Parts: sequence; C-alpha cells; structure tokens
Amino acid sequence: MRKKIAILLLLFFLSGLLGGCWSRSEIGEEAIILGTGVDLTEDGLIRLSVQIASPGAFSAGGDTSGGGKEPPAWVVWAEGETIEDAERYLAMKVPRRIYWDHSIILVIGERMAKRGTEMVSNFFLRTGEPRENMWLMVARGEARDILQAQPMLAKTSAQATGFLTRMKTGYIVQIWEYAEMRASKGVQPVVTGVEVQDFGEGRGPGQGENSTVQKKVELSGVAVLKVDKLIGWLDAHETRGLLWLKGEAKEGAVIVPSPGEPGKEVSIKIRRSHTKIVPEYDGENLWFNVNIYVEGDMVEQQSRVDLAKPEQIKALETAMSEEIKARTTATLEKAQTEYGLDIFGFGNAFHRKYRKEWREMQNHWDEEFSRAGVNIAVEAHVRGIGLLSMPAGSPEK
Amino acid sequence: MLEHGKIDGKQAIFLMLSVVLPTAILTIPAGIVRTARQDAWLSVMAATLAVLLIAWLVVSLSLRFPGKTLCEYAEEILGKTLGKIVCLLYIWLFFLYAGSGAVRQFSFFLVTAMMPETPIEVFSITVVAVAAYAVRNGLEVLCRFNQLFLPVTGLLAIVFFLSTIEMKPARLLPVFDAGLLPIVKGTVMPTMLMGEIVLLAMIIPYLNKPEEAQRIAILSALFNGFVLTASTLEALLIFGPDLAAHWIFPTFNAVRVISIANFLERLESVIVAFWVLGGFVKVGVFYYVAVLGSAQCLNLKDYRPLVLPVGVILVSFSSFMHGENIVDMIYYISQIQVPFMLIVFEVGIPLLLLIIALVRGKGGQSS
Repeated sequence: MRKKIAILLLLFFLSGLLGGCWSRSEIGEEAIILGTGVDLTEDGLIRLSVQIASPGAFSAGGDTSGGGKEPPAWVVWAEGETIEDAERYLAMKVPRRIYWDHSIILVIGERMAKRGTEMVSNFFLRTGEPRENMWLMVARGEARDILQAQPMLAKTSAQATGFLTRMKTGYIVQIWEYAEMRASKGVQPVVTGVEVQDFGEGRGPGQGENSTVQKKVELSGVAVLKVDKLIGWLDAHETRGLLWLKGEAKEGAVIVPSPGEPGKEVSIKIRRSHTKIVPEYDGENLWFNVNIYVEGDMVEQQSRVDLAKPEQIKALETAMSEEIKARTTATLEKAQTEYGLDIFGFGNAFHRKYRKEWREMQNHWDEEFSRAGVNIAVEAHVRGIGLLSMPAGSPEK
Repeated sequence: MLEHGKIDGKQAIFLMLSVVLPTAILTIPAGIVRTARQDAWLSVMAATLAVLLIAWLVVSLSLRFPGKTLCEYAEEILGKTLGKIVCLLYIWLFFLYAGSGAVRQFSFFLVTAMMPETPIEVFSITVVAVAAYAVRNGLEVLCRFNQLFLPVTGLLAIVFFLSTIEMKPARLLPVFDAGLLPIVKGTVMPTMLMGEIVLLAMIIPYLNKPEEAQRIAILSALFNGFVLTASTLEALLIFGPDLAAHWIFPTFNAVRVISIANFLERLESVIVAFWVLGGFVKVGVFYYVAVLGSAQCLNLKDYRPLVLPVGVILVSFSSFMHGENIVDMIYYISQIQVPFMLIVFEVGIPLLLLIIALVRGKGGQSS
C-alpha cells in the first residue's frame, strides 16, 4: 500500500515536468501579431510589416488608469529576400518571439500583388502557425500604411479591418478561400481591396487642439488577380455586381428610382438572396443563364407617392431587378472585355454540368468565358415596407 | 496459451477502429483526392466493400482453427518450416513494418503540425514506451484503455458537424468526373489501410465468443469505412478537390478553418487528442501482435521478455525504415507499403493459406 502511494505521489509530481521547458512559450515573451503586411520595396526586396499588440494597452482599464498613453500596437518592419528572411531580420528588432497565430489580416501591397500573391500566401499556408482563416486583402498602395492607420472603435487597425470585413459589406475572402480559387481552374481569384483614407480632422470631444488628420482603413472594392498577379480593380459599385454574380450579396441595399416620381429614390435592404448559374453549351455556343433571387424590405422612400399598394410594390420589384441587372451587367462586361477573366466561378458551374467538354476547355477557359453570352434574370421581391405605410403629405390621400 | 485475457465483441470492434482510424483520417484523404479528385469519397466506399471481402477471408480462415492465431495455424497448414517462415514474414514485414510506420506517422504529424522544434525521436520513443507498458500487461488492458478513450471520437463527430457551415455540396460535383478508372485507383490506398483489420487473425482466439468473429469483422469494416468516408467528405466539402489535394493533412486544416461566431474556433486540439490517444492504441496493437507472434514462433512460454527488444526494433524501424523526411514517408506509404502490404499480407497469404487448408483438409469446418 505504502509503495503504491509512493508511486502515485511520484507520478503526480513527475506530471509537473510534462509541460517541460522545451519550446515553452510564456505569454509575456510572445510578440502577438495582429496584422501582417507584405510589400515589395523599390529594390525588389520583400518587406514584412507586422502589427504587434502591446499587452498593457489591452488589459482591463488600460486606457484610463495610470501608465500614460501606451499605444495599443507597434508596427515594425524588416526587409529580406523571402518572407522568412524578412522575419529573421524582424526578429532582430522585436525583443520577443514572433507569434503568428492571432494575426487577423494579411495585407499585400499593390506592388507585391502585381509581382505575385502566391509568393506571399505560400509562407502563410505552409507554416502551421498563421491561421487559414486570416482575412486576405490587397492594399491600394502600401500594406504598411494599412497597419499604421489609426482606428476608431477598435484598438488597432488590424482589428478594425477585421471587424470591417466581418460586416460583409464588401467582397471578403479568407486566405484558404483564396487558395481554393487559386487552385481551381474554373475561377480566377479576387481579393478584398483596402485603402487608407484621410478622415479629416477629428473634432470630437476629447480631441481638443492636438487633433490631426486621422488616417482610417476603408474597404475599397476588389483586386482582380490573373493567376496570382494583380491586374486591375473593381470599384465599390462593380463589387456589388461581383457579389450578386457570386451569390454572396447577403447584406446591403438596392437603391432604385421611385415609381411614379422620377428623380427620387427608394432604398430596399437585402434580406436574403441566392444566385444560380446555369451553363448551356451546344458544342459551339456557350452561354450562361444567371438566375438571381432576392428578397428585401423597403427601408427608405424619398418620394411622396403612396407605395403601399400591390401595383406599386410590383413596380418596385421591377425597378429592383432592373437595378441589379444593370449592376451585374456592368461588372460582367468589365470582366469579359477588360480583363478577360472568369472571376465569378462560371467555369466551375460549367464543369459541373459538362464534365467531358470541360476537360478540353479548362485549358483556355478564360477565352471561352470572354466569348460566352450571359442572360441575367432577376427575381426580386419586396417583403416588408417597414413601419410606415405611406409618407406624410402623400398627394393621393 | 500465452495470453490469458479474454475480450468481448464490443472491445474487439473498438480495437479494430483504433487500428485503422487514428492515422487514416489524417493521412489518407490527401492521397485519395489526388487520384480520384471529387470522387474520393466513392473510392473510400468502394474500398469498404473490398475490406469486407478481406475481413470475410481472414475470419473464415481463422475460424477453421479455433483457439489458434495466424502464426500457429500457418504451421499447421504449411508444415513447420514453411509455417515459421510465413509467420516471420508477417512479424517483420507486416506487424513491425506497418507498426513502425504508424509510429513514424504519429511522430511526424506532431512534429510537422504542432511541435516543429522537438526531435522526432522524442515522440516515437514516448509512444512506444507507453505502448510497451500496455502490451506487457496484455490484450485486456489495451482493450480497456481503448474502450475508455474511444468516446473522444464523439467530439470528433461534433467538430465535423460544426464544420458543416463551411461546406458546399457543389464541391462534390460533377460525379464520375474522369470516369471510373481514377476511382478504382483511389480505392487501393484506403483498402490497404482499412485492411489492417487482418490483425484480427491474431486476436480471434482471445474473443470470449469466437463464433461472433464474422460479425465483429463486418461491423468494424463498416464503421471504419463510415468514419473514413466522413473525414474524406469533410476535407472535400470544405476545400474542394483542388485545394484538398494540396494539403498534407487536409482534415486537420479543414478543422482549423472552423470559426463559429468568432468564438468557437481553434478546434484542431480535438483532432490532436484523437491522434495522440488513438495513435498510441494503434501502435500498441501492432506491437502486441508482433510480440505475441514472435513468442509463438519461438515456442516461448511467456511473451513478456520480448516486449523490450521488440519495442527497440519498433523505434529503430520507425527511424530508419521509412525514409529521412516526410516526403520519403508519403512516397513509401503510397508506392511501396500500400501495394505490397495489400497484395501480400492482406489478400495473398491468407487466400493461399485458406486454399491449401481446404485442399489438405486441415482445420475444422468453418462455421
């Protein structure tokens, strides 16, 4: 019995050693990276910029209690031949171990993206530490500037950008989704665009005299990649069209001219939508029938017409589908004529239906896509009109 | 008899699940997806049918010789010399080679995905040392432990279920993309891995109801097929065939992608827990049959003196017989281990033994 107890005690104390000292990492010795940026410098080197959280600013009451004003994050960068090379130079500047696991965003600078995004994503997918669900974006300009911007409502620009992304107002993509698009032959990758905007001088309470021009991060359209190189952009309007065609327009609004009163607008908020792409191929002609279904609620009306009538709702629905059709057509034309790239995944839809033809066509799919005809049909429904039935002073009363 | 423990049917099924699944769910999907693309799951299902045949073959053979393991009845069928040779072939080239392969995979995954700075020997020595303790205490202990741990698989099911939000069924289309041939090619690898349930031939004598062996083999083959299909689907439905083939451990990455409400994430620890616990049992079973087989081959009264030397062999095999790096390891598995093991040890020899036994009229009637 005594022997048993002795052994149990020994085991119990030995378990204390299980954690070991090998590869141990104390949280106080980690440099926790919140955002990562990769740029190409003038000399053709890769510049890796990281935004490192400074833990003091995150602890409870960190802003108010003493300790002065510790900035919540520190942006530091280093250059190298490869990302790992740059990381090693970075390690000479950062007094802690660089820890990738919490990086929220990965921003690729414009020049780097033109050179190739695969050179960047490879490191982050191959190394186990960065997460596959990091948000991937391409900066208009330098990625470093995105990390250096001062955010509002969030402590660091990386977090702010992460939140912006999660609101799904624009087209957003995680690094593994990019990798999937990159690996697939039936779709060309598109990546969220971001840019730094001046927000003017802050004059809110507490900012007083020492207010300067604030720099904020803003989602700005979509970067279009050919294979993995940046070749152009879609602006915010065209991005809406992209979202409709990709079936990812789950948030946002459609602004349509008000029936019965030209020049005034009505806003319809999207509640749900889905998109179906049906390819048709007869051996010679290739065309796609795109069926978009959308449901929304009217949330705003500028005109004074009484819209709470069945025929007016019908008119609204028609206007809505016209508007969506115009948006998607514009984006589609840009993709087909200007870029000649299938950024919508029509190729994947084609592959699903015509697997034999695809085997031959996948090798020159983008040309086939550029020549393809597309019929867009939108089925729009207005479900709710909010809490008002008709605007005040409606002449038809 | 060397082994005095008895296990019941449920324990045997659980044991067979642990023999196949722990390494298979992580290492297999990438290989099958590379050959069969989005039809990989069909390959796994077809493989399950093939494994049912293997299971039937091995169990029918074993049931002709009640109370005897593969090593014992090989002698009875083929005569002393030939029988011992077959027995040694099984021990060295199958139990020890595949067992050390499991040790290698176990350690390599932990090194590659979790702890890159730790020397790989740390993992292989540790897992073999723990398994040695279980093996020394006999089959019953190994089974009890396995029974205790297997419910962790339930967590795995929850994780797979949680990942359904990232899944898109369209990624499985079109079915039969490149015709039937890639699917057939894709079945080879899962058949070999699930075919490892031929280890039952060493365990059937220790069942408390050996007449249930046929049912046990069929059920474990079906369960294995089901879980393996699920994990292949998991990788395919999340990543699609193009990206799934790019990863080395696609199921692991698929689980890492899960993020629910920005709150429930980083679930890969479940996979790792399954891997560590299951990997230990898998190594343990191979280790056990190698030790037991050697003892029977050498006509020893007790197998325990062999535990230590066999363990040393397992560790050294795992370091020297599977190449120097992970690329070698994957190459060895897909190019050498899979066809060789499948043809020789899982189908060839058992079939030959059965035919010779029938011709020579050895053994009782198969029930």
